[in-house]
Amino acid sequence: MDTFTTWFFGLFTNWPVVWKNFDYLLIGAYPQGPLGGLAMSIVMAVIGIFGAFWIGLAVGLMRLSRKKWLSWPALVYIEIIRGTPLLMVIFWFYFFAPILLGQAVPETHSAIAAFTVFTSAYVAEIVRAGVLAIPKGQTEAARSSGLSHTQTMMYIILPQALRNMIPSFVNQFVSLTKDTSLAMIINVNELTLSARHIYTRTMKAPMEIFLTIAVLYFIICWVLTAFSRKLERNMSRYQARNNAH
Amino acid sequence: MLKMWKMPVLLLIASLFMVLSTAHAGKLDEIKARGALVAGVKDSQPPFGYVDENSRQIVGFEPDLCAALAKKLGVKLELKPITSSTRIPMLEQGAIDLIAGTLTHQIAREEKIDFSITYFPAVQKLLVKADSGINSVADLAGKKVGSAKGSTSEQNIKNAQPDCTVVSFETYPEAFLAMKQGKVVAVTTDAPILLGIRNSDDNPDDWIIVGEDIAAEPYGIGVPENDSKFRDFVNITLMEMWRSGEYQALYDQWFGEQTKFHIPLNWTMELWP
Repeated sequence: MDTFTTWFFGLFTNWPVVWKNFDYLLIGAYPQGPLGGLAMSIVMAVIGIFGAFWIGLAVGLMRLSRKKWLSWPALVYIEIIRGTPLLMVIFWFYFFAPILLGQAVPETHSAIAAFTVFTSAYVAEIVRAGVLAIPKGQTEAARSSGLSHTQTMMYIILPQALRNMIPSFVNQFVSLTKDTSLAMIINVNELTLSARHIYTRTMKAPMEIFLTIAVLYFIICWVLTAFSRKLERNMSRYQARNNAH
Repeated sequence: MLKMWKMPVLLLIASLFMVLSTAHAGKLDEIKARGALVAGVKDSQPPFGYVDENSRQIVGFEPDLCAALAKKLGVKLELKPITSSTRIPMLEQGAIDLIAGTLTHQIAREEKIDFSITYFPAVQKLLVKADSGINSVADLAGKKVGSAKGSTSEQNIKNAQPDCTVVSFETYPEAFLAMKQGKVVAVTTDAPILLGIRNSDDNPDDWIIVGEDIAAEPYGIGVPENDSKFRDFVNITLMEMWRSGEYQALYDQWFGEQTKFHIPLNWTMELWP
């Protein structure tokens, strides 16, 4: 074990490079320049998650609607996005948005829009599955006690369904958090691109730098899952069934 | 049924409106109105453009050239990082006003963008391990050579040595790291970039720059197509900088004898009377 440890850490001898540039990995050129590094990754992930949750919820409910003019656009949107690689969606937003809007769009905005649109489609499918998994009796009971369709959805079905969806949401959001690294392809200075800036200048320590950012990614994803476990516990009081114990 | 028709029609009208609104005045007016010159520069290419360790900002020879242009216009300078593969689309769509990022003036590129006069004349060479035995392009037959995506070097080496395999990376330092790990036997691009990479290494003497001049790589500032006022401004400012000695001072700061990237200044800028 000891020889292995010595050998393993002998591979990584350039830690001062990481240490000297750690602030760049965390915040980029901020505050004299634009935000970058881990902070930029987190900003993109948080906005992406927030947007994707609400848009995905709306699209998922549209998809469930019996009205064709509501469910069809949702179906087309979901199918197109699910059949497209995220990298391509990012490029698409980056190169097409300026043509559509007639002006240059900051690459950060393009990336966030791409993440939101991409993840929303998956969230929509999670919402649909979650709602369909609630026993029909719940709807029937609510409707026969005089609640409207919307009221049934808002007060009876969704509170139960959303709680069941949490694990799937977290899966999707953790994956979005890690996918923010793809934004480097359009020059968004997030964690992975910051790492490249450092090793292309110093020309050394790529292993140390990448090990460091791997740990940073792990930490933010772990915080996300820990938070969701707490949320799941808090929301269990809304659960109507299977609480016999 | 009527509702389903409305969507595409609305979209069509919206897109027409947006296409019309893209017609704009000249770049010079646009920059002055905005109060900032948005320059596309390299962020991973010492000493042309890279992120400084202490200030954490993009610095380098080309950012300084852009700063001189912005000062002449009386506007702020905003630097936007580019790579070899993104720079031309970014200029075309207006995300940046100009490219000062080791961009070779090439006839093929004239189709999409315009160029200033040459501000740095480079030639393409090879960087190899000192004991590799590779001395020329001919020695590369059947070997793997590293370069960067979307660069002229990538095309030139394919023409000069059809028997080698070109492996393209996002940046040249990454190509160099690949060479250090034995994935490629040589890195090919412009000599000043190779020198920058070699001299940034811990053991510069392990690496040598060899080979004939594979191609001339005159760097020009990329400007939007068909905007001669803006191009004139860039050209005239570059010539003024040369005549006043400002260019030479900048050059000395980044490529002078006291730097890690020493290249003697032995050429003269094209100077119009």
